[in-house]
Amino acid sequence: MKLYKVKLLTVTCEILAQKNIIEILKKHNITGYTTYEVEGNGARGLRGQGFKNEKNVKVEVIMREDKLSDIVEEISRTMFANFALVLYVSDISVVRTEKF
Amino acid sequence: MEILQLIQSNLLTPIILFFLFGIIAARIKSDLKIPEAISEFLPIYLLAAIGLHGGIEMRNAGFENMLIPMLVAIGISLLFTLNHYQILRRLGKFNLFDSYALASTYGAVGAVTFSVGLSFLKNQGVTSEGYLAAILAVLEPISFIMAIFLTNMAVAKQIRAKKQSFTNDDISDIEIGIQETKTKLSQILHESITGKAIVILLGCIVIGYIIGEEGFSSIKIVFDEMFTGAIVIFMIEMGIIAGQRLGDLKKVGAFLIAFAVIMPTFNGIIGVLVATIMGLSLGGAVLFGLLLASASFIAAPAILRHAIPEAKPSLYITSALGITFPYNIIILLPIMFIVSSITHDVEGSIDLFNYIPWD
Repeated sequence: MKLYKVKLLTVTCEILAQKNIIEILKKHNITGYTTYEVEGNGARGLRGQGFKNEKNVKVEVIMREDKLSDIVEEISRTMFANFALVLYVSDISVVRTEKF
Repeated sequence: MEILQLIQSNLLTPIILFFLFGIIAARIKSDLKIPEAISEFLPIYLLAAIGLHGGIEMRNAGFENMLIPMLVAIGISLLFTLNHYQILRRLGKFNLFDSYALASTYGAVGAVTFSVGLSFLKNQGVTSEGYLAAILAVLEPISFIMAIFLTNMAVAKQIRAKKQSFTNDDISDIEIGIQETKTKLSQILHESITGKAIVILLGCIVIGYIIGEEGFSSIKIVFDEMFTGAIVIFMIEMGIIAGQRLGDLKKVGAFLIAFAVIMPTFNGIIGVLVATIMGLSLGGAVLFGLLLASASFIAAPAILRHAIPEAKPSLYITSALGITFPYNIIILLPIMFIVSSITHDVEGSIDLFNYIPWD
């Protein structure tokens, strides 16, 4: 079976920043993503205690390489300063490349 | 003396004791936790009970005289927000974003605080005007909307000042402000009006008004008799969250700690006096004062994190939940009750607590 190389962008951020991330993705014509609620510790202290909107969320997006740098740039520029956010990119392979 | 006595007896009510218990549980790092589904359900339940109660009272007493108190409440809330901003910005030397975020947190209302107030009055055997629940719903978004609008205006002004050295276009500050704000504001307006707090509150006011006392009797056991019990469970959760945040108080700083105590006291007492002048009852004046004294800590982060992301949430959540909320329910509520009793000239209600049989 032939596998095609694409990129996986993973963003772990506070739950109230999720909307901003998804808006940025939309702006770059990406509609598919997966999110899940997570807890953890980091520079802004233990996250996930207390109110629901103080939890963290992990957003995973698969995309082609050509869109990646614009999106990463926009997230870094608009969100790093104000939100608890960690972002990383990994290489993955998929079967149906036309989906992304 | 009466005030001290009332504060003392208030300290020993289940609501306060459970709150303190929650704080202790958090401080000793217990793993005690109210399950998430329940702590999400309880605010909805409390708002539903407040709404039903308000709706029924409005049916009994009518709401023709609601308009003036509501408009006055809106006006005062906006004025207070501006006042907070000036104090925080000029005296507290906070930056623009933190100042507006804090100003609106303290200008907004706290539904949990309101529930505790209702339960406190019930405990004292005092009734209040039902339309205060409607005022609670109306006040919820107002202070935020103004703060967000003013923040955007101020940011637009700064941008314009920088641009002016390059171009000479004549667009006024207001126009730029409105342009920048329009999309953001309508989005926030829509979000807060369709947000669960306002929807459940208004929905239950309407249902309460329709069903009246008679229809209510079948659900009374859940929404009336269990009310204080439900608050008590929620208070454990509130205590735990507040307890976890006590460590953050150092970051908040002495100025904000003082602000978080003095400002509600000032706002609350003004509220009681204004309500008395408008002819609200003894209990109504207390709740009116409580509306103005309370700070929002459930709705505030959800709105502000989005609209003013530059503001530090640790400041406004910690001060509202860690200082103002306990202060309001433990100390300020009895103080406002005494003030309201004095202004309403009801000696009898004070005697309730001072009563010593002489023979």
